[in-house]
Amino acid sequence: MTAIPAPPALPVTKTDAATPPAWRQGLRRITRSYLFKVLISGLITIWAATTLTFFMIRQMPGNPVEIRMDELMTRQGMTEEEARRASATLFNFDPDRPLLLQYADFLSDLVRGDLGDSITRGGVSVSSIILRYLPWTLFCVGLALLVSFTLGIILGLAMGYWRGSWFDNLLTAFASIISGIPDYIIALLIIIIFGVQLQWFQVGAVRGGVDPTITPAFSVEYLLSILQYATLPILVYVLSTIGTWILAMKSSTISTLGEDYIAVAKARGLSERRVLTGYIGRNAMLPLVTRLAISVGFIVGGTVIIEEMFQYPGLGRNLFIAISGRDYTTMQGMFLVITAMVVLSNILADLAIGWLDPRVRMGTEDSSQ
Amino acid sequence: MKRLFIVLALVLMLGVVSLPALAQDAPTGTWLGTWPYAAPGTHNLNSFAAGGLNDNLGLVYRPFVELTPAYYLWATQEYVPMLAESWGFVDDNAAYEYTIAEGAMWSDGSPVTSQDVVDTFDIGRILGWTQWTYLTSVEAVDERTVRFNFTEGGASLNAQRQLLKEYVVASANYGELAAQAREVVASGATNEDEAWTAVATAIEEFRPETLIASGPYTYALDAVGESFFTLSWQPNSLFSGSVRFGELKIWGGETEVTTPLVLSGELAHSTNVYPPATMQSFVDAGIRVVATPRGYGPALLFNFTVAPFDNVLVRQAMAHAINREQSALLTNGLGATGTVYMSGILDSIAPTLLSQETLDTLNRYEYNLEGAAALMEQAGYSLNGDGKWADADGNTISVEYTFPADFADFSAAARDATAQLNEFGFDITERALPWQEAAAAIRAGDFQLSVWSWGAGSPFAFQNFNNPMRRWTVALAEDQPGLQLDIEALDVNGETVDLNALILNVSGGLDTAAQQERADEIAQILNEGMYYIPLNEMLSIEPVNEASIGGAPADGDPIYQNPSNDHFIIYLILNGTLFPAGM
Repeated sequence: MTAIPAPPALPVTKTDAATPPAWRQGLRRITRSYLFKVLISGLITIWAATTLTFFMIRQMPGNPVEIRMDELMTRQGMTEEEARRASATLFNFDPDRPLLLQYADFLSDLVRGDLGDSITRGGVSVSSIILRYLPWTLFCVGLALLVSFTLGIILGLAMGYWRGSWFDNLLTAFASIISGIPDYIIALLIIIIFGVQLQWFQVGAVRGGVDPTITPAFSVEYLLSILQYATLPILVYVLSTIGTWILAMKSSTISTLGEDYIAVAKARGLSERRVLTGYIGRNAMLPLVTRLAISVGFIVGGTVIIEEMFQYPGLGRNLFIAISGRDYTTMQGMFLVITAMVVLSNILADLAIGWLDPRVRMGTEDSSQ
Repeated sequence: MKRLFIVLALVLMLGVVSLPALAQDAPTGTWLGTWPYAAPGTHNLNSFAAGGLNDNLGLVYRPFVELTPAYYLWATQEYVPMLAESWGFVDDNAAYEYTIAEGAMWSDGSPVTSQDVVDTFDIGRILGWTQWTYLTSVEAVDERTVRFNFTEGGASLNAQRQLLKEYVVASANYGELAAQAREVVASGATNEDEAWTAVATAIEEFRPETLIASGPYTYALDAVGESFFTLSWQPNSLFSGSVRFGELKIWGGETEVTTPLVLSGELAHSTNVYPPATMQSFVDAGIRVVATPRGYGPALLFNFTVAPFDNVLVRQAMAHAINREQSALLTNGLGATGTVYMSGILDSIAPTLLSQETLDTLNRYEYNLEGAAALMEQAGYSLNGDGKWADADGNTISVEYTFPADFADFSAAARDATAQLNEFGFDITERALPWQEAAAAIRAGDFQLSVWSWGAGSPFAFQNFNNPMRRWTVALAEDQPGLQLDIEALDVNGETVDLNALILNVSGGLDTAAQQERADEIAQILNEGMYYIPLNEMLSIEPVNEASIGGAPADGDPIYQNPSNDHFIIYLILNGTLFPAGM
């Protein structure tokens, strides 16, 4: 055997000396990571949507001062001049200030975390309005969405699996009809039929968010009152959205039933329950997760009329008031929350799909290698 | 004997002390009303700020916490006392004085004084109140008498109304701000100066912790809920002994929210505007409705740069081609009447403001399609093969009629006028907008035909003529063209007339005969020029649930002649006419 000489020692080159330090490598890893890209993309989306919103809402006909004037003329019988004088001092708003300067002010405040004061509700900060009302909407609509989604998935799965049964036919008809009725009609029908006609409840007693005679505290009585006042808004939301979930899940289930792996699972002798939940249900609900994420994002904006009908103290009702009065700062703050929620929920949806579908995870890993 | 005398004297003193307390026992029972108040978090107790008393109580409920000096009865055209006991012009009309009623007290137990009034108006001066366009100063004459000094020629019956209708606030809350206001004015600053603006901002941002009330009710912020808030009786007001409700519960929300409450009997009274079908359902449910003047009606407005609306003959033809009784019925059911006099003043008060001679000579523009057709032909139009009016070049009258979609009454009026005019031979397309956009479109002159209110709930000709003639023209900001009609140089039968000056001057002074003469002249100009078509005059049809309240006067009672601006429930609750049902 011929001995192989050891290779000569390589001289230390400048290239090795320039090997990036650990912190820079870490930074590079972070900046190239999927999560970082998603977050940056989300921030850019939020900035773009917020900028677009800023300019669009100011293109709406009328401004806070003029709308206030019209209200004063209608409700107080003032003349145009009287109403203008009264309105001019009420609002800290100059409609003649150049739009770009207003935008610069807005951005500069925003980066400091300041959403500004409401234009039409003097001395009240936008963030205080959001913080006060957002939890009510998140609770009420969040719970309603959870109920609606869960029931819709279960019923849609069963209808798809036992398609053609009386149960499927009945629920398909119900879902088709109910999904075509707007939420405010459902709310009105419930109030008029069950409140006014049948007098199952006092109409006034289901308005608001909680019994005003109960002192706010972390007590069973207070929590039950919150739940009681949220019952009708939740019911209306569930009724107005469940049809869509049912029909979507049924359709998805039917298409999943034709997949080979379902036939294989059945051939392997797995129990019907296992096939239904572990194979059909899990795969059929994948397309609905993205849809759920979008619904979560629109929790705030999607409940304006329901909250108004029940005088529920949520953000949607306040958004309605802000839009009616052209309260630009409040509208901006609320649209920012909606945008952020949509972006965030989409990111979560991506992660959730990966969790639900191993193929997506593998795909991500492959592409990253 | 001496001891007996002392005991008797003590018993007598005890009796005297306890008598007022007995007389001031809190009444029981709840009034159930409605007003779209600001929700908790944005609700405040400032009498001058947005989200304060003005917004939260409106013209109907504010007098129950802050009294005005007097209340106007439209049927008899006289003022009755509230906070003041006497009033009148003094010093050859160079000033006006009123005296606060003896015994008037705030809810904190202190007396209402002339200084409270002075402070109120000094704050109002910073906020640009209209009264300061004809006042030079407000001063306390003595503890209870306050004097308003007029500018040269500033005295008028209109001024009297504005002084007697102004709510008085407590110096205990606002005295410091009033002092700042006086200081700024004394420094010679104007409303353009920073110092002036700073005081205005301080007034706006002031948040009183308690509401100091002169009326028989008051409330605290913790009584404000999401769906209702409650005014509670307080013993110190001039009216505490006469009112018969222990509390006034005010539900929030607008028409669509309050409708089920009325139907379920959970509202005693509402001022919301309900569509005719809803009103019928109230009646069917056994709920009484009463009718009062609303103080306005819908008018068809023209953009004068859009042909052929610059042609008076076409406008007159349109007035003849619209059946105004039908318009009234479709606008508000039986709660509206077709305009009769076409004078620019609401028919309900035209006979008191115009001479009979003028009323007799005004063109009433009866529904007359033949007469309308003759006017169109006179204007150079003829019917084409499609039954549409066309000019010599064959151009039809193809325009858009914009209207506020969310105002059921104005929408109905506009859509009916469109249908009637199209039937007559016009080619009008409806365009529904949110009300904010419809108003903005008129201001911007960005419309062809539109609908908005005419007339006013005021006993003076000025406010009536003002809307819409000045409102959508000279009263707008400089960059807002509005109707695009130059009312300062109006061509009336070949003469140039400054209609703006005539309207501004119509209610000036104290000579009612001269006022009538000036009003006659303007009515004739408007009647001839038909610068807008007053389609109908509306009534406010308000549910009064007699299962909840008693004492409401029978239909036809003179108090129902009061329009919403001087609402009848103010008078009827304060003097104890209304009471909880079952008492």
